[in-house]
Amino acid sequence: MSRIIELFPFITILLLLIFGAFLTPLIKKKSSIVRTNIAINIITMMMNLVTLVYVNNYGTFIFKFGHYGSPFGIIFHIGPVEVAIAMMFSFVITMVSWYSFYSIEKEIEEKRVGFYYILNSLLLASLLGIVYTYDVFNGYVFLELSTLAACGIIIVKDKKENIKAAIKYLMLSTLGSGLVLMGIAFIYSISGHLSMEYIHEAIVASSLAKENLLLISIVLFSIGLGIKSAMFPMHVWLPDAHTTAPSPSSAILSGLVIKAPVIFLIKIYYVVYGFEFVNSSRILQLMLIFGGTGMIMGSLFARRQKYLKRLIAYSSVAQMGYIFFGIGLGNELGLIMAIYHILAHGLTKSSLFLSAGSFIEQTGFKKIEDFKGIGKEMPVTLGIFTLSALSLIGIPVLPGFISKWNLALASIDSGMIYLLIVILLSSLLNAVYYFPIIINGYFGEDNLDGKVFKSKSKPIKELIPVILLTLAMIAIGFMSGPVIEFIRSGIYM
Amino acid sequence: MLMVQNSYIEVGAIILFGIGFMILLLNNNMIKKIIGMNIMDTSIFLLFISIGYIHGKEAPIIVDGEINAMGYVNPIPSGLMLTGIVVAVSVTGLMLALTIKLYEKYGTIELDEIMNMRSD
Amino acid sequence: MKTSIVKNVVKVILPLIQIFGAYVIIFGHVSPGGGFAGGSIVGSSLILYRLIYGSERADRKFIYFYLLKLVSISLVVYGTLKGLIFILEHLGFNGFIPIGVPGNLLSGGLIMPLNVLIGIVVSITFYFIATLFEEGELENVNGAE
Repeated sequence: MSRIIELFPFITILLLLIFGAFLTPLIKKKSSIVRTNIAINIITMMMNLVTLVYVNNYGTFIFKFGHYGSPFGIIFHIGPVEVAIAMMFSFVITMVSWYSFYSIEKEIEEKRVGFYYILNSLLLASLLGIVYTYDVFNGYVFLELSTLAACGIIIVKDKKENIKAAIKYLMLSTLGSGLVLMGIAFIYSISGHLSMEYIHEAIVASSLAKENLLLISIVLFSIGLGIKSAMFPMHVWLPDAHTTAPSPSSAILSGLVIKAPVIFLIKIYYVVYGFEFVNSSRILQLMLIFGGTGMIMGSLFARRQKYLKRLIAYSSVAQMGYIFFGIGLGNELGLIMAIYHILAHGLTKSSLFLSAGSFIEQTGFKKIEDFKGIGKEMPVTLGIFTLSALSLIGIPVLPGFISKWNLALASIDSGMIYLLIVILLSSLLNAVYYFPIIINGYFGEDNLDGKVFKSKSKPIKELIPVILLTLAMIAIGFMSGPVIEFIRSGIYM
Repeated sequence: MLMVQNSYIEVGAIILFGIGFMILLLNNNMIKKIIGMNIMDTSIFLLFISIGYIHGKEAPIIVDGEINAMGYVNPIPSGLMLTGIVVAVSVTGLMLALTIKLYEKYGTIELDEIMNMRSD
Repeated sequence: MKTSIVKNVVKVILPLIQIFGAYVIIFGHVSPGGGFAGGSIVGSSLILYRLIYGSERADRKFIYFYLLKLVSISLVVYGTLKGLIFILEHLGFNGFIPIGVPGNLLSGGLIMPLNVLIGIVVSITFYFIATLFEEGELENVNGAE
């Protein structure tokens, strides 16, 4: 039985590829395409749940492809971190496909709906691949696949701005992947291996002689993967891409696509190079600076935006700053919090984007000032929006607070107390741009004039996926203790 | 200088990488950008294959059932770069398709002109 | 471009290109080449046909929907075969496909059939990409539905 469960991570990817992507062009009816895809997503989620329970009970395991061990074959390393992230990814994608079952036809042409679902499955398969793999080159291939699929879900809408945004994204992304491939070339020339653990052994054996090459390669990896995951100075593609894409795509792009390269980067740092080299190379200070400036500048940019989705996209830049900040602190708690924040932000931002998408879909407005009094017309949706926004601001119990609190503790641990100012300032700035939307939505006499209660509200069954996302977010905040312990048991350092 | 002479393939690959990188970043014409991307990718392929090449040894093909691992160059980098070429081809294809779409929608493929257009 | 000289020359060399492509695909596991290289050769022959004989005749000959079906079926078969092998090997059933003598045509287990499937996918995808650049969208091609 246990050998069958060990197959599950591989089977999920296989199922997603075969039934989600390859078989779909053969199906003629649009509704059956959608049903197949949602069924596959639910099966993936269930399998990931089983794997999660298995890993929780029996610990980490390794899946070997075709019985070849690590230096010759590709292996999947399935530990607590990987399983937790994979569970979050498949849950979010399932909820987003459920949501788009009702609303995607309002945003994209009907003949492209099939393409959208194909790309969704392809994207989830490649993201899971990035999360599981312990082979550098395999990770690169999955990374490219995810970029192409993500580009696809931006251009399904086929408007002017989408093409422009997709070109911007693809161009910077190829730049990033070129750098990553160059980094792989460097570490392959040093070590002669592609498997992460064996590269680590070879690096430890020869680290003093080849220190400059190692430094160059670690910088190449950091910048390349930083571009792909919208680290602050390289974030320029993100706002356009996430704003113009259809709302379900924005939720996926913001929640998942920019998270997977971070996981890859963490693996590169702590599995390939090892803690000692990373700590002595000062690359983490660079991460800390980029992350910290991202936290503040992302919020400052977001405050100036006039369009709702653009504001949320810039807020993503700030939240990615938290993740890089956590990595950059260089201690265990910081890394755990980076991974916890990946989970929290994935759930939060996707529900935020979906609720913003339903505002835009129901009212037809895009600017923030038009959403005054929306709380009377769409109370439930604004309620969801409020909860997610409160989590990002950092109200206690919600996951955003947990990660901020622990990041603060971690920065005290690492002896850099002045970093608390950065966290505090960023939280205040978050509040500055989220509270006006909420307050103008719910309160104010002149805002609510002429609005009819629940007049534009969506039917409750169309909101269930968003509500489930929000509930999962609250749950992850309430159960933060066990979740953090679970992540700690499988942290790489 | 001696190092440069001994490893001129690597040096050439890095110079090509820089050229491709700068074309991709600084040029405004989409087609030139795509050419730059291809130069960049090709330079990485060159670097990778030069890592696996061992002077004086043969391509790893088994002839008449003869197996002797010492007589061959390292086949893994070539295999990896085959995958890399597939990836580069698909990215180039998508980029070219997007460029056609861009021309249809905006009437130009110069990115600075497109950025100057007022978008509502 | 479409003079009778070109048409007649192409009529002669097209089968040769395709045979060479098939050779590269089928001997992919014992010599340089393989599914991608051979598939791109076959695909270029299809593109050549389209360029020389015009898009209408090519559309009549290579019907979009059938090609799409072929690609999907090849991919599904590829995924199933390879995935099944990995799954069975993990569960302990291995060695039921004879490996053969290295260097022979019938050797290397499943590599040759998988190469053939890749060749089909790559050739048709290359043809589709070329069609896409000409037509703008694949749905505009005749016989799409």
